[in-house]
Parts: sequence; C-alpha cells; structure tokens
Amino acid sequence: MPPLSIVIWLPALAGLLGALAPGSRERNTSSGAIALAGALATFGLSIWLIAGYDPHTSLSDVTDTVWIGALGIHYKLGVDGLNVFLVALTTLLFAATMLASNIRLAREGIARARSYFFFLALGESAVLGAFLAQDLALFVAFFDLMLIPFYFLIGMFGTRQRVRATLKLVIYTLVGSLLMLAGAVATGVLASQQHGTPITFALSSLEHLRLARGSQEWIFLFFAAAFLVKMPLFPLQGWMPDGYRAMPTEVVMVFSGVLSKVGAYGFLAIVLPLFPQAAVHFQMLMLLLALISILYGSALAFTQTDARLIAGYSSVAQMGFITLGIFALDPQGAQGALLGMINHGLVVAPIFFIIALLARRAGGSEDIRDMGGIAFRAPVLATLFLVVALATLAMPGSANFVGELLILLGAFKAKLPIAIIAFAGVVMAAVYALRLFITAMHNRVGEKVSSFELSRAEGSVLAPLVAVILFFAFYPQLALSRSEGSVDAALAPARAALREPSAPPPVAATPQAPASSGGQEAQGAEEAAEGSGAR
Amino acid sequence: MSATTFGWLALLFPLAGCLTTALLFRRLPGRSAGVIATAAIFLAFLASIGALVAILGRSGSQRELVSSLWNYAVTAGVNVRMSILIDPLSIFMMLVVSGVSTLIHLYSIPYMDSDRGFARYFSYLNFFVFSMLLLVAAGNFILLIVGWAFVGAASYFLISFWYRRRTATQAGIKAFVINVFGDVGLVLGTFFIFRHTGTMELLGSFHVAPHVFAKGSADVTAGCILLLIGAFAKSAQIPLHTWLPDAMEGPTPVSALIHAATMVTAGVYLIARMHTLFELAPAAQDVGAIVGALTLFVAGTIGLVQTDIKRVIAYSTMSQIGYMIMGVSVGAYAAGLFHLMTHAFFKALLFMAAGSIIGAMAGEQSLEKMGGFRRALPFTYGCFLIGGLALSGVPPFSGFFSKDEILLVTAERGDWHWALYVIGYIGALLTALYTFRMIFRAFHGKPVAEARELESGHLHHADVPRNPATGEQEDTDVGFPGPAHAIAERSGAMRVAMGLLALGAIGAGLLQIPRTDFVIDDFLAPSFAGSKLYTIHEHTSTLAAGLVIGTLLSLSGIALAYYIWVRRPTLPAIARERAGALYTLLHRKWYFDEAIEALIVRPAAIAGSFARQSFERVVIEGAIVGGAQTLAGASSALVRALQSGLLRAYATMLALGAAAVTLYFLLRA
Repeated sequence: MPPLSIVIWLPALAGLLGALAPGSRERNTSSGAIALAGALATFGLSIWLIAGYDPHTSLSDVTDTVWIGALGIHYKLGVDGLNVFLVALTTLLFAATMLASNIRLAREGIARARSYFFFLALGESAVLGAFLAQDLALFVAFFDLMLIPFYFLIGMFGTRQRVRATLKLVIYTLVGSLLMLAGAVATGVLASQQHGTPITFALSSLEHLRLARGSQEWIFLFFAAAFLVKMPLFPLQGWMPDGYRAMPTEVVMVFSGVLSKVGAYGFLAIVLPLFPQAAVHFQMLMLLLALISILYGSALAFTQTDARLIAGYSSVAQMGFITLGIFALDPQGAQGALLGMINHGLVVAPIFFIIALLARRAGGSEDIRDMGGIAFRAPVLATLFLVVALATLAMPGSANFVGELLILLGAFKAKLPIAIIAFAGVVMAAVYALRLFITAMHNRVGEKVSSFELSRAEGSVLAPLVAVILFFAFYPQLALSRSEGSVDAALAPARAALREPSAPPPVAATPQAPASSGGQEAQGAEEAAEGSGAR
Repeated sequence: MSATTFGWLALLFPLAGCLTTALLFRRLPGRSAGVIATAAIFLAFLASIGALVAILGRSGSQRELVSSLWNYAVTAGVNVRMSILIDPLSIFMMLVVSGVSTLIHLYSIPYMDSDRGFARYFSYLNFFVFSMLLLVAAGNFILLIVGWAFVGAASYFLISFWYRRRTATQAGIKAFVINVFGDVGLVLGTFFIFRHTGTMELLGSFHVAPHVFAKGSADVTAGCILLLIGAFAKSAQIPLHTWLPDAMEGPTPVSALIHAATMVTAGVYLIARMHTLFELAPAAQDVGAIVGALTLFVAGTIGLVQTDIKRVIAYSTMSQIGYMIMGVSVGAYAAGLFHLMTHAFFKALLFMAAGSIIGAMAGEQSLEKMGGFRRALPFTYGCFLIGGLALSGVPPFSGFFSKDEILLVTAERGDWHWALYVIGYIGALLTALYTFRMIFRAFHGKPVAEARELESGHLHHADVPRNPATGEQEDTDVGFPGPAHAIAERSGAMRVAMGLLALGAIGAGLLQIPRTDFVIDDFLAPSFAGSKLYTIHEHTSTLAAGLVIGTLLSLSGIALAYYIWVRRPTLPAIARERAGALYTLLHRKWYFDEAIEALIVRPAAIAGSFARQSFERVVIEGAIVGGAQTLAGASSALVRALQSGLLRAYATMLALGAAAVTLYFLLRA
C-alpha cells in the first residue's frame, strides 16, 4: 500500500517539476507531459488503494504525525470506505483533465502553460488532501488550499467575464471558508472545554467528545454554509453560472466533477459524526434545500440554451439528490449518496468535455440553438455522448440509477412526501438530458455547424470515462460493498440521535433549549462511543 | 443444460449481436449486419425453445427456477442480484418475443436496404430484443425495471431513428419522457411493496406478500396502482397513451415489433407477473379493468376517423391492449396472455403489410391517397386480409378465440363487470369497422396512379423525398428512409416473414379452443398456482352466447364497413357534416394531447422560465450576490490585484479571520 502522503503530494510535485521545465511560454509541452505523468501515476496509486482496501478495517493506511503541537493539530491521513472511491474518482478525473489540457496545449497552445499545469496539479493535491484528512484542522487547511489554485485558474486562464466570475467565487467561497474555519476552531476548543480534555482536532477523538446541542447547532450551520456553496446547492449557487462559463472547459470538468463532492463528503464524513444532534435538528431544512435544488436545478436545466449551464444546473439537481440521500439519515440513502457522488463525477466531467467538442463543431458556440445534426458525421462521438446522456438522466441499468434508487428509498423511508416530490426530478432529468442530446446531435444541421468525428486523442479522454461508467453499470456492488461499513459507522451517531427519547419526532423538530441536561450529554457521548466502536 | 442456462443464452445472443453490429459498423460488408442481427435473434429463439424443452421435463411444481450470476447491489438491506426467473410465464413471453422478432428482423433486411443507417438500425433492434427478454426474464424488481427502462430507451432510439426529421425527434422525446414517468410509477410501487416484504426478489416477495399485506390494505393498493401507472405508460393506456400514435414516426418494421407485437404488451405481462400482489389489492384490479375498457373503446372510436394508415393500426393496438389489460386485471391471465400472443402475430402482420403498401406509395401513409391496390399487391392484400379477419375476431382466425375468452372471464366476474363485457363487444364492432375501412380504402375501389404504375410493372418513386407528416423536403443523408422502397411482392425475405406470421394469425387460435383443448392454460398454470382467479372456465351458456355474439358483431362490422366505404363512399362526408362535433372530437383524438399540454407541459415550462428569467436573475444573483458584490466591487484595488495579489489578499483575509476567531475564544476562555 502506498503511503498516503505520496498519493497526495505526487501530483503537486509533478506540477512543480513541470513548472521548472524549460521551454516556450506558449507551447510548453514538457510541463504538460510531466504533470500528466504525475496525475496518471497518482491514478495508479489510487487503484492500488482500492485493491488493497479491506472493508472490514475501520481506517487503514493511517499516517499520523503531530503538525502544530501547541494547538493539538495532527497531520493525520487515512483511508476508509467513504473516501477510497472518491480518491480514485479524483485521480481519474484529474488525469482526464490533464490529458484534455495537453490536447488543447498541442492544438492551440496555452499562455503561461507552466503555471496552468502547476495550479491544476496543486488543485489535485489539495482535493486529495481534503478527502484523506482525518484531522479537522487539516481538512480545513486542505479545503482552503483547494480554492487558491482554482482562483488562479479562473482569473488567469478563464474566458468571457472572468473577473466578475472570479470575484463572485471569491466572495462566496471566502465567506464559506471563514465560517467553516471558525466552526472548526470552535469544535476543537469547545470540545476540550466541555469535556476537560486537551485540545485535539482528530476526527476519531472528536467523535467521542460530543458537543452540547446548542453548540452543535450553530457550528453545523457554519459548516453547512461552506459545503453548500461548494456543491453548490440552492440558494447558494449564485456563483455557479458565471463561474462555470468563465472556467476553461478542462477546469470545469474537475471543478464540477470533484470539488463539488468535497462538500457532500464533508457532510457525510464530518458533519454527521461530529454534530449528530444538529443533523437531526436540521434534517428537515436540509431535505427541503435538497428538494428545492432538485426541482429548481432541473427546471433551470431544461430552459437554458447554454449547454454549459444545462450541465451546471443539472449538477445542482443531482447534488440535491445526493444531499437528500445523506440527510435521509438512513443507511440506504447514504449508500446511494456515496455511489451518487462517484456517478455524478463520472458523468459530468465527460459532459463538459463533450460540450467543448460540440462547440468546436458549431462554430465555437456553446449555445444549443447553434448546434444540431452533429451526429451524422460523428457517429462515435454520438454514441459516447448518448451513453453519457443516458447515465446522466439515471437510466435504469446505469450505476446512477442504483444510486438514485437507494437515495430515494432512504428518503422514502425517512420522509415519504419529500421522496414522492423528488421523483419529479427523475422525470425532469429525462427532459433536460435528452433535450441537450437531441438538439445538439439530431434534427437538421445547424447553420454554423460543420461536423467531424472526434480525434483519437479526444477519444482517449472520453473512452476510458465511458468505460468506467459502463463498468459500474454492470457492477455497482464494487463500490457499495466497500463503503457499507464506513457509511453505517458515519451514520450511527445521527441515527442514535434520531432515536433519542428526548428528541421530538423528527418532523416536528423544534429548537430546544441547548443542552437541557447534563445527562443527555453523557448519553450522547455514550452513543457516539458505541457508533465509533462499530467503525 | 438447465432451463436457466438457456435463459442466460437467450439474453446473451441479442446483446452480442447488438455489440457486434455497433462496434463493427464500419467494417461489416454489405448487408451482413442485418444477417448477423437476424441470426442472433434466431439463436435467442432457439435458446427459448431449449428452455421450454428443459422445463417441460420437470414436474409442474418444479417449474420455477431462479439463477443468479453476481451481486448487483446487495447493501443496507437491499438484495439485488443479477438474477433471472425462468418459469412458464417467462418462457411463454420469451418465445413470443424472440419468435416474432426473428421474423421482423428478416423482414427488415430488404425493407431497410437503402437506408444509410443500416447497421445502426439492426444494432438498436437487437438491443431492443435484449431489453425485452431481460424484462420478461428478470428475477427481481430492479432488473425488471432495468429491462422496462431499456425497452423504453430502445423504443426512443427507433422512433427517432430518422433523426433528421424534427417530427421524429419530437415523437421520440415524448415517448421517452412518458415512459420515464411510467418508470417512476414502477419504482415507487416497488418501494411500497419492498417496505413490507423486505426483499427485491420477485418470488420472495410473492411468497411473503400474503402474510405481510392484509387484503386491500393501503400500501399494497398504493403499490399496485403505482405499478399500473408503469403498465399504462408502457402499454399506451389512457391517459398515458399519447406517445404511441406519434411513435409511428419510426420505420414500419419497428412499429410492427415494438409498438404492436412486443414492448407495448409489457404492461400486460407486468400485471400477470404481479398477480399475487394485484389479487391482494382488488381496488387496483378494478382500476386496471376500467382503464383497459375505456382505452379499448376510446381508441376504437379514434381509429375510425384517422387517415394515416399506420396511426389507424396504432390506435387499434391501443384498443387491443385495452382488452388484454382488462383481461389480466379481472383475472383472465391465460386469456390475456393468449390474446397477447395472437395479437403479436396478426398485428405484426398488419404492420408489415402496411409497410408494403407504404413502399408502393413511395413513403406516403395517408389512406386518402391510397386505393385499388388489390391487383397490384396481391400477396400484401392477402396478408392484410388475414390480419384484418383475425383482428376483427372472425372465426376461425386466432383473434376470435383469444378475445372471446377475455370477455367470457370478464362476464363471469359478475356485478358491474357486465358493463365491461358490453364495452368489450362494442369494441369488437368498432374493431371490425375500422379494420375493414382500412382494407376497403387501401385495396378496393379505383386504383390510384401508384397502383396502376405498379400493375404495369414499375414501382413508384418520389422525385423529391418528403417527410410524409409535414411535407418537408428530406435531408438526404444519414437519418432519412433512403431512396429505394421495398414491397413484399418483390422480396422473398419479406414474403417468408409475412407468410409465417399469416400462418400464426390463422392457426394460433387452435391452441386453445373452448371445451376442447387448453394448451396455454395448462402450460401457464404453474406460474399462477397461487391464484384464486385462475381456473378453467366452463360456463356453457355465457360461452355459447359469447361465441355467437362475437361472430355476429365482427361480421356485421365488416358488412357495415363494406356498405359505408364501398357501396356508399359519399356517406362518410355526409356523416362528418351532420355530426361535426363528434367528428372533431374523434379527429382531435379526444383532446388528450391538448389536455396534457395545458396541464403539465406548459406549467412546467412557465415555472422553468420564471426561475431562469426572474428568480435566478433577481433573487439569487441580485440580492444574495449583489449586495456583497457592490461592496467588493467598490474596492477596485482587489480587482486590480486579481492576477498578482489575489493569493496575498486571500491569505491576509484568511489569517485575519482566523485571528479574530481565535481571539474571540481566547477572550471567552
């Protein structure tokens, strides 16, 4: 098994080497090649991680050294059922993005290519760090580190209104990050105060040091703000339209495919185990936000004509489904949500890549009204697009369907009316995904369109992703069986809180006096211990 | 080999055929894609026969076999394996599906000959057969849903096959979305059932269902009604039928296979398969029976006034499936499935014959422009006549026996079911009427120019190919029907396919003759062992009355059609004037399309544009971002710092924030 530090830092190291590579500013192919090699090697390591992962152990390959001793912050990494496939997804999509960027570099050149690849590689390291971190402070550090390279990637390499887009992104994410930072600090400090222990940020310790109910609630909201912005979910998606339009296509592929998952992962791996009572308290709020995101995102997706925004708003809807699964607080829902994260990453990245291919065939326009009839000179592209489009709409037979099925089953058991309304999103997904496919590929040939088949290089980006989609369509169990134990453990505290006699029935959850009694606290801590024991 | 091995093979061959024709589409020479695809389906048919033979070697109670290959989604209390269920019911369906499909593949080879999407067509068609076989062989709810959705997708691919026609792509998306709506019903219904049974396995659910559900309890009723929504969407029952007539945009063999013989009957299979659950939910059975009866009547009336020959047959399909849905909902399982089989034969035959006329008309589908093809297309005429007689229920053609048996069982249920019985016979009259309207208009009367041209030995070709639905000039590249047309009289393959189906349409009824033999009843009995409604019916008086009434009605329908459309051709125009409102109602298809448009499509679109143009712009971008942005926008220093100083600015803000928070907690402590 590879040391996790190598998995995290290998891409950045390769990016740094590439940045030092000699060559021209415009067409510095060696920097791209080195960064790509790093990304591919990291992907290989992540496969090794999956192969070596034993679902029966709680946390494997732990790296744990003291980072900032005075503050009790550890550099602690580990693999569990929650992150093992997300790490693989990250490395796969970054490898695809690096390859796609190299193709663009070879075709039209990228100004300041060395910085471009360096930032992209640094971004990969930061995302991997966020997924693998087992210390709350370390997670926050990686979460914030993640944003920096992407600010540059939009600000320096973006198109259209990149300044406006970057500004919006900065405002949104900065506010979210600062709130989360405050929440993280508060978690560590309050936990040590309330339990009289030395300050620590290790997730495994914090799970036992349950905070008072009142503290959980406001800290929950701070974390939720950061994660909801990241995903994004209604009503915090305001940065998304400009942001996605301004980013280079290759950057959107990972931004939508991977970075959005960090938010959902944060809810599952951090918020639920650490703030279970708050999660129960805000369950209805989160379910409603998820539901609104599904309906609102879908409604926007089928009225947009900008292909990128169709994909962007469809992501809002799909992240809504994922949140629905997590906050059903049910093992089926959470399992579905985790599978859904992998599936969404696997479809949205190829969709954005395909949109770029379509734009090149439609005279540079990403507006679906300018497309049409592209299929007839590009049957291979059409077939790959069709598979991706059907997976996007969660066609039964795809792993996306299995994810959505489990999510809706979880929601069905938790809150029947919400699940029934959410089903509308399933139908709407069929409308927007097929509308995108048909208006681009079928009907009469658009005026600006001159269609041609995708090149071998482009095929080498798309085909592996489609192959992985098809593989999971036949065998979603691969991911499900490895995550089951960890998902149960992550949910255990919240499910215990759901059953707590002092907590009112979840539907009528009303704000209660925080920490009404010490006894309740002790009980909560006991249940947390029980939950971690299972893990 | 065991029956389940044959079952897996029957699934494997079409899938392999689909992938071969798809992946090698550039390399396959000539028409080999069609040959490969046909062979693949024929092998699936042989495998189905193998399964039949294997299962007949087992005793009656040992005829339900489950085989599972790997775990598909086994987690958190859900148990979905890659499993198939082979029992008499699934074998019956597999035989019908693969048998009729083989013939339609064969027919398609000459029919699609000049189409540039030849390999793509056969790949889709094989994919369809794979999906349909998966649907009928699925061993659990989830695989059933997968097959269910796959046939919907295959149907979409083939409806939109000529994708340069906007009419075709619109019909495709309509069919797909309505089918997805049905899928949702199926999934949600599954949830209601799973909630109590705790298993996704079909057999397992059926075994525990009587113990966990009280008869008529809310959840089993809700579950079954939701399953019915799936069945209605797939089987084009009111009000989810509007996609089927539009689906006639697809190539005619596709209409024969998918939109007549196989896929649209999936709802009938579903109800028969889930009969254990439906018998626990009598309310759901009633809904199914009433909707089936309504559909058979409404579709029959619409069929009377449509002028597109394929659409008339499509409404006829709707109407006939109404009979089947009504049948399986009142407990006439074997009769419903029997009608499913005979209908597959004669309806596929009618579509194939229609395809032959359309070929002779160079793509034109309007009955208004046809006439007098009797001598020009003698073989086609013979086939159409056989199909028409079977459809109208004239003895001894197959449709006579199967339709009659459904109505007999309906009558036996007594009570208000008598109303359904009467509607069924009104439908029978309508059936004979619209069927022979088609025959008399297309084949009798004065030959049109195309017919005369064909009689003198030349097949008509349009100078400029046009979309028959809109008159728009075709884009003559990929994705249009191709320049040449095929007729059965000039193609051996088409004649073989049609001839074999004609034999089925004539003789299949003999499998089950009242009071004489019960081949289908007996064969299917093990699948319905637990049913309280599955009995062999012996009510002599109703039986005799039914047979007589059925015969009389079909014959008088034909006679009436002859009087109206041959003897008094001016009569329809007069009737149209006298009963204008009724005519308009039927011509506009009872306004279902308009109602769905006004109630669902338009509100959704309005909500979407409101969200896009107003809410997103004003509230999300304006209020939430606007305030903060103005503030930040004012500090133009930040903007100028974007490219160089962003990191510094960010780090500073981060540090300041951290400091502030730390300070706060230090002060509090």
